[in-house]
Amino acid sequence: MSEKVLIKGNYAIAQAALNAGLECYFGYPITPQTEIGEYLSGEMYKRNLAYVCAESELAAINMVLGASSTGAKTMTTSSSCAVALMQEALSYACADEVPVVLVNVMRAGPGLGYIYPAQGDYYQAVKGGGNGDYKMTVLAPSTVQECIDLTYRAFYLAHKYRNPTMLLADGLLGQMMEPAEFGEYPYPEVDNSSWALTGAKGRDGRAIYSLGACEEKQIKRIYHLFEKYKQIAENETDWEELNTEDADILLVAFGSMTRNIKAAMNELRKEGIKAGILRPITLSPFPTQRINEISKQVNNIIVVEMNMGQMVNDVKIAVEGNAKVDLINRPVGQWLSVEEIITGVKKVLENSYASV
Amino acid sequence: MEQNFIIAGFGGQGVLFAGKVLANAFMFLGNNVTWYPCYGAEMRGGTVNCEIVISDEEVSSVHKENADYIIALNQLSFDRFLSKVKSGGMMFSNSTLVDENKLRTDIEYLSAPMTQIANESGYSKLANMVALGALTNIIPALNENVLAKAIQKVLEGGKEKFFESNLEALKLGIGCLALA
Repeated sequence: MSEKVLIKGNYAIAQAALNAGLECYFGYPITPQTEIGEYLSGEMYKRNLAYVCAESELAAINMVLGASSTGAKTMTTSSSCAVALMQEALSYACADEVPVVLVNVMRAGPGLGYIYPAQGDYYQAVKGGGNGDYKMTVLAPSTVQECIDLTYRAFYLAHKYRNPTMLLADGLLGQMMEPAEFGEYPYPEVDNSSWALTGAKGRDGRAIYSLGACEEKQIKRIYHLFEKYKQIAENETDWEELNTEDADILLVAFGSMTRNIKAAMNELRKEGIKAGILRPITLSPFPTQRINEISKQVNNIIVVEMNMGQMVNDVKIAVEGNAKVDLINRPVGQWLSVEEIITGVKKVLENSYASV
Repeated sequence: MEQNFIIAGFGGQGVLFAGKVLANAFMFLGNNVTWYPCYGAEMRGGTVNCEIVISDEEVSSVHKENADYIIALNQLSFDRFLSKVKSGGMMFSNSTLVDENKLRTDIEYLSAPMTQIANESGYSKLANMVALGALTNIIPALNENVLAKAIQKVLEGGKEKFFESNLEALKLGIGCLALA
């Protein structure tokens, strides 16, 4: 499996999930990620694994919730407006501490929106639409190779921390083909024998539920969850950094938009503008501390995203006013071109010089 | 350096297939490559296109505003994508189905009777391979061997029986000189 193959992002995610040991898939088709379910329907049948094309996304995520509580490696995949339907169950999955793996191949919203790629679900993924204090772990791939690598990581992190983990891709990544290598699933298997619901023969019964029942219990549960989120942040926060050592301006993007800011950075450097890049690989936990460090050294931070400005607010929180934070964005459709980003950066720089 | 190609035509002309073959060929030649289809409510008889970006570095954006090379297999694609050719780029069209309306003077035009060549040889569905064959005369890095290997790769998994006919159509394209 170490040969490079030209493969579509959606198929790469599906095959990576199988390599990671996927046992149960529950899903409902929606563009631009339908190929994941299509691919798995054949491959899981061949392998005698559980594949259910559910009657709705709501059903799919609740099936995942049930199957995950047995410790099985489960997954559902969907897109934006249908992931919206899953938010209640994700809050439950966080409270119940079950290892759900969820893939969102983003399309345009709000509402039914359209099938074109966008990055408008940043808030939905990292802040969540479910109730209560909870955090999912969210990973954002920027290439087809990373669709594979981060699918592997999503399964590992979901099981290691018993926390729902989302792969947040977009229609561009789902539909594009690139050369990629699968390799072997690189993580150890996580022992779930201490909590999984596997039948109580020979041991006391267990129950997984999120009802607090009394104040003290509920408080304890939330502190326990947040102690876990703290550990996830300490151990698993991940980002990519390029040319930040001598940077005057920092470009920040996530997912497939990173590719364009890399090209823009190279062009800007040729013109003598010292640009660097930080790309969060984990959107939750967010590399807040590192961005804060860099913000003390640069004059400008420019966030580039395909939405009306969502991650930019987390960057502002991280920056704590140390640098000027601007946004280059478009809500949907054609990805911001390298030229548009360069023009945008120059405009930001002109304005900030003018204001000095 | 980055270069990009858009292949466009009717649904059913093998546009996406040709794009996959081209992308694999460029990968075999050692390039970084990204293939991206238009996706949406396309259907047989409608228009379809895909974009291939190659680079010696990491490929930046796909879904670009314009392209270095556009391969138009029908009139609709020629008309739609003429404005998307980069200045100094090339419009390569299927002269059987396209009347070149050379509205722009800052690009190069080449054409070949792809559908006619395919039809006359009994490969009526393979104008796409004729196009790729003809492309070897335009892009020096491409050749029969690498494209044949790419066709084989894309047909893996149950469609191997179509290899011979695709290869024959490819060869016909290679033998056909694209005309200005």
